[in-house]
Amino acid sequence: MRGGVVPPALLFAALGLALAFAPRAAWAPSLLALFVTLCSFTFLPVPPGWLEGVFLGCWISVIATAASVHLVRGLGARLAFALSVNVGVWASAVISVSGSRLDLLKALPFVLIFLPASWVVARNASIPVKVVSSWVIAVAVLAATLQLLPVTPGYLPDHLE
Amino acid sequence: MEPKLPRGSRITRVVLAVGVGSLVSNPAAAHTGTGLPGGFVSGFVHPFSGLDHLLAMVSVGLWGAFLGRPLIYVLPVVFPAMMVVGAIMGMFVVPLPPVEIGIALSVLVLGSCIALSVRAPVWAACLIVAVFAVFHGYAHGKELPSAADPISYSAGFVLATGLLHVSGICLGLLNNRPNGVIATRSVGAGIAALGVWFFDQAIGT
Repeated sequence: MRGGVVPPALLFAALGLALAFAPRAAWAPSLLALFVTLCSFTFLPVPPGWLEGVFLGCWISVIATAASVHLVRGLGARLAFALSVNVGVWASAVISVSGSRLDLLKALPFVLIFLPASWVVARNASIPVKVVSSWVIAVAVLAATLQLLPVTPGYLPDHLE
Repeated sequence: MEPKLPRGSRITRVVLAVGVGSLVSNPAAAHTGTGLPGGFVSGFVHPFSGLDHLLAMVSVGLWGAFLGRPLIYVLPVVFPAMMVVGAIMGMFVVPLPPVEIGIALSVLVLGSCIALSVRAPVWAACLIVAVFAVFHGYAHGKELPSAADPISYSAGFVLATGLLHVSGICLGLLNNRPNGVIATRSVGAGIAALGVWFFDQAIGT
């Protein structure tokens, strides 16, 4: 198994960490964009043949979103908006190919990590947020690599089953 | 009426309590995510199940706390990043020198660095931690593809690793207390002694 709550939760957590470095004025438009994108794309059918590509896109989005915390000038309002739309698209796609809308609802609160994270960043202590984002990147890199392995992953039946 | 502690002292006590609590407590076994072996809880528990891994990860945080900025936060970033590199090498079964010896050496060397209060330059500390992280990642990466839910497993595993680093950093806050440096260096000496035992075991196998 590789669908369910965890992939969208990592996407939302990465977005939450990134938003902590965005100006306050960007929070509401970005969250609104995320919500609208999720509502729009969750109902679009994704062909099952796109499964591998959808998961790869999801992991690349997690890495890019989490890595944006290292931008020297912080996250601009436009980039925050674009990241929110991107996260919304990939979270919807992952849920469409492997998951349920209930998983999406369970994962959505992870975006609220931006509240404690922005509180920490506002006190000139951005390092813990960057450390946590590096953990998120590490998980996404591992998950993306699993797709490239020449072995049968544990979530698929092998020739003995 | 109880004497009022200074604010810094109270914060130090709370952080120490959290750190020591993380070290000695068992993680909750509820909400496994999938209910299948290899889920979030399996990944989270895994670093706690082997004393050699656990001590190495705590040592990274403790040594970082000894070395101060920037290594106090650079080392906990370098370790998971290089552990991923090691895990990928493990998944693709890239040949490495005996992994168990590398892991035992990591406990021995990191414990010795704390015990001897080695003030390594940034590049050297990063290099030492990076090399050992590859061995730790390799050992876990080999088994990762067989997990029933590898994404949840790796999420739990990385989170537990990070928390062990944080535990080490919290333990390092003892340095700010009277005789605290002696206490942390003694902990380092104990870790190094166990590293010698792990090394002996690894050579024996």
